[in-house]
Amino acid sequence: MAQIPANGIQLHVLRMPAKARPRADGQYPTVVFIHGLGPDSLASFYFTLAAPVSSAGIEVIAYDLRGHGRSGRPPTEYRLTDFVADLAALLDTLEVPRPVHLVGNSYGGTVAFSYALLHPERVASLVMIEAEPATELWSRKIAKLFDRLSRLDDPGEMASVTTQHGEYVARLAKVTSHKLHTTTMARDVVSGPLLSREQIQSVQSPVIAILGSESDFVDKAELASLLPGCRMVIVPGQGHWLLMDAPHTVRDLLLSWIAEYHPPAPQQPPARVRRPHAEVSPA
Amino acid sequence: MRTSEALPTSAGRDEASPAVVLEEISDMLRQVLGEDDVGEGIEITRATAFLEDLGLESIDLVVLAGHLDARYGSRVNFAEFIADLDLDEIIGLTVGRLVDYVASCLLETRAGSVAGGER
Repeated sequence: MAQIPANGIQLHVLRMPAKARPRADGQYPTVVFIHGLGPDSLASFYFTLAAPVSSAGIEVIAYDLRGHGRSGRPPTEYRLTDFVADLAALLDTLEVPRPVHLVGNSYGGTVAFSYALLHPERVASLVMIEAEPATELWSRKIAKLFDRLSRLDDPGEMASVTTQHGEYVARLAKVTSHKLHTTTMARDVVSGPLLSREQIQSVQSPVIAILGSESDFVDKAELASLLPGCRMVIVPGQGHWLLMDAPHTVRDLLLSWIAEYHPPAPQQPPARVRRPHAEVSPA
Repeated sequence: MRTSEALPTSAGRDEASPAVVLEEISDMLRQVLGEDDVGEGIEITRATAFLEDLGLESIDLVVLAGHLDARYGSRVNFAEFIADLDLDEIIGLTVGRLVDYVASCLLETRAGSVAGGER
């Protein structure tokens, strides 16, 4: 855990080393986990994917977006360009030597996609969990969501959230509502800059979208038409919180996706087999 | 950051005893929360739930993990511990459950170092 200065603010960063041996190409893949907006933080990835991915021989970088978790919370500047510039500055500072696999949950995937448009040479692939590029449609949806969240300081609204979703979710909603009232996040985030269909289709990075069958957050047909080359995996019975609710499924999809780009190293025969005489000496 | 002289393991304290671990984790929680928040009469016991009772945000648990790492190093792997829990278990996670996990890790690594080459 560290505070890293990047793009004029402090970002709270978690870096975990790859814990198995290198892949067939002699390298460790690197994933960067990017969480969603509002109550979210790098904890969502820490609780679910960080340890198993690191144990599978993949270097893990996770960070709190500006205004979230333990990263800096400036009063203004929450446009998509700010989040993308933070990511670029962070990867520069960390001196990650190879293209990385960006794994974004919800808005984190939107940030990842815009980053890939600007820095294609630094992206090995995009893993979008319940996420989509910053389109006009996306922006209208986020605006509606934030409008509801920002009204949660009204006791009546709050009571209805508590009844529907329980104390814990109600507290998250309250924290988010406070955040929206003390920063320009709600206004900035939806301002984009939004991407045109041409821009979206110019992104060459391989994309896998992992979506919940019960979630209507991402319009699946629209995404398929926007990104014809994207691999779409729809996880049955899951909603928008698929990362937290079905972490094992997401983990398996992620690990097999990454293995396509970095095949595991072939099993080395034990030294003993090649030098039969060694068998007689004590181990 | 913490220094080992604050925790005299050689002076009759059993580092792996649940009571000692509870005391140390309570100290870490005070640092995570800031003294002010805990000073107002919140008692930390085994039954205290991190998120539900102490009002921690989930990111605070990640910060707590940093303290555990600084204190116990590779003997305790909080990231693996928490990745085995589902969301409801994390929301309801109590201090006692974490204390027992840490104490068992400490006992296990101690047993490992005593057994030495047999492992």
